[in-house]
Amino acid sequence: MEVKFTDAQNAFRAEVREWLAAHVPSERLPSFDTKAGFELHREWERTLAKDKWGNVSWPVEYGGRGLDLTHWLIIEEEYYRADAPLRVSQNGIFLLAPTIMEFGTDAQKARFLPAMASGDEIWAQAWSEPGAGSDMAAIRTKAVREGDEYVISGQKTWSSRAVYADWCFGLFRTEEGSERHKGLSKILVPLDSKGLTIRPIAQLDGDEGFAELFFDEVRVPVDNLLGPEHGGWGVAMATAGFERGLLLRSPARFQAAAARLVDLYKKNRDRVSSGIREQVLQAWMTAERFCAATYALVAQVGAGASISSEASANKIFWSEMDRHLHRTAMTILGARAELESGADAEDNGRWLDGYMFSLAGPIYAGTNEIQRNILAERVLGLPRK
Amino acid sequence: MDFRYTQDQQDLIDAAKAVFDGENTLERMRLIVANEKVDDLWPQFSELGLLGIMAPESVGGLEQDLSVMAGIAEAAGYVALPESLVELAGISVPLLNAMGETGKIKQVLAGDLAVGVLSPLLSNNNQAVHCDLFIRTTRDGGEPVSVPKVKFETRQSIDPLRGLSSATQPGEHNSFVEHHGAVLTAAQLVGLSKRMVDMSVEYAKERHQFGKPIGSFQAIKHHLATVHAQIEFTRPMVQLAALQSGRAVHTAKIAAVDTAMLAAETAIQVHGGMGYTYEVDLHLFMKRAWALCGEWGDRNYHMKQLEDLILDGEAELGPGTSFAA
Repeated sequence: MEVKFTDAQNAFRAEVREWLAAHVPSERLPSFDTKAGFELHREWERTLAKDKWGNVSWPVEYGGRGLDLTHWLIIEEEYYRADAPLRVSQNGIFLLAPTIMEFGTDAQKARFLPAMASGDEIWAQAWSEPGAGSDMAAIRTKAVREGDEYVISGQKTWSSRAVYADWCFGLFRTEEGSERHKGLSKILVPLDSKGLTIRPIAQLDGDEGFAELFFDEVRVPVDNLLGPEHGGWGVAMATAGFERGLLLRSPARFQAAAARLVDLYKKNRDRVSSGIREQVLQAWMTAERFCAATYALVAQVGAGASISSEASANKIFWSEMDRHLHRTAMTILGARAELESGADAEDNGRWLDGYMFSLAGPIYAGTNEIQRNILAERVLGLPRK
Repeated sequence: MDFRYTQDQQDLIDAAKAVFDGENTLERMRLIVANEKVDDLWPQFSELGLLGIMAPESVGGLEQDLSVMAGIAEAAGYVALPESLVELAGISVPLLNAMGETGKIKQVLAGDLAVGVLSPLLSNNNQAVHCDLFIRTTRDGGEPVSVPKVKFETRQSIDPLRGLSSATQPGEHNSFVEHHGAVLTAAQLVGLSKRMVDMSVEYAKERHQFGKPIGSFQAIKHHLATVHAQIEFTRPMVQLAALQSGRAVHTAKIAAVDTAMLAAETAIQVHGGMGYTYEVDLHLFMKRAWALCGEWGDRNYHMKQLEDLILDGEAELGPGTSFAA
């Protein structure tokens, strides 16, 4: 076991730190779930891409640096340390890109990855349907093949970033009469397609972070099929593994939040109860445990292991940590916790925003109840029925 | 940075686990509880080199670091090993080595000398009656104390597999010894937690109610999945603590305590009324977990250390501060 960074890794960290210090906007950008905020975040993606800091673990030919996941973790640490803008491209770069690299044709890789890396094309996801949430195999939206095109009809929902994004990746029923996990395909769809109506949904903070998508005979070329036709379930599960597993939430995000929580406690120590000390430490310790476990997982992946059902433990752990951490901040703030802005709103309402967003964590990317079923059945071996 | 065991390290841990699982069976533990005679495992430990895991190669040891010993301690915890192997090989031997007492290490490895440690963080000395010599810790080392000079008082633990004594001369704080003690205790708690989950899974597959195995009910599944997730995020923290000092160690011990207490409470709930009896073996692991939660710094001790470091100190926190440079 080696838990020291090499000289080269330390030098890399210094280089990242220097670049971020010179480029991170001095003021926090408005939420990317607003029109103006979205475009400012897209500009930030372009800035990242120009100096190739956006996707260091990608191959060089698609805009990356071909570095391993340890380097990605170092970047994440410096990124959150510098309080750099959140990644508006996260659906694409963390979820779709690994899937394209695994299942895509060379033409698809060349078509989609560089534009994703540059921020020119921002991706939304289109998996859930009104009748297919936790039970994703209940998907009904059809993609009927007609010659060189799929004709898509139906409805998707909870489509994150879809209000302002350029493309979506979705799971559609391509095989007539198929049921459950069979007969589904993963297809990439431009969000400005004819026949596609986007209805924004205001989320808990009032911003339009996701949308409903209504497909009325939307036509896309068959070249937009990702992976095998009718074999989309396996492709989607690979994406779900990335999402729950490693890439979506690196420890740095929570370690940064925990450090801010300690500062918040210190500022308020004279007026809070002593019991809050344990809660603050609990949040800090949990983030440290997540860090240790992630480095261990990265070492395993680096040695050739793959992430599957174990990823469910990750998702449970970080989402419940995030909720507890932000609830602790709300408790410290007391009567100021409800303030969205103004002089008395701590950090311009950031803790409130964070708390609201943390409530979504145990729901999105597969509810924590579904994750616990997966762990119980596939890892612990408890009977399905 | 490569936070995983090398193949050689993993092989060593697996070999020790195979010995523990094969020798310290539930049948053996039941016999010990019933005061029946069982085979002594110490000669086997000596022969297999387990006593010398952390001893220098120059005296015939394997010279492994504390992370490997933590892997072995987890395996010992998994079987609630009655023998105080972890204490001897993982705490006493490294202390003797730090003191330059290579002659005594050779005797330990040969199975001729059992050495205990007297530390202020160890209020209950396990298996003290078997020790021939004690080292009373000092701030930067230790001083040998012969058995007749140490006064012991026998104590009765709820764990029937621990033979406890309290010593009158506890020694001084010694960060080297306390690091080993806390990490290896935490590692045993991880093993105990895993065992209690595994026992509960087996029970939930066999026990039927409403015409189905109770393990098919989500109420049971979710309880056990919660503990499983906690274990998976405690083990790496303990392994990291083996290779760091200070706050990582306190965090690891607290996480291991919380995980083990949750595992024990969940396990008895899954076992239902049977868990509240001597009829199933769960209680042996639960009681060992309770016992180890308090050793080498209880939760209060480690929490106070963390309060000083994190809340009342000026330590650098946040991303990139978890690994010592």
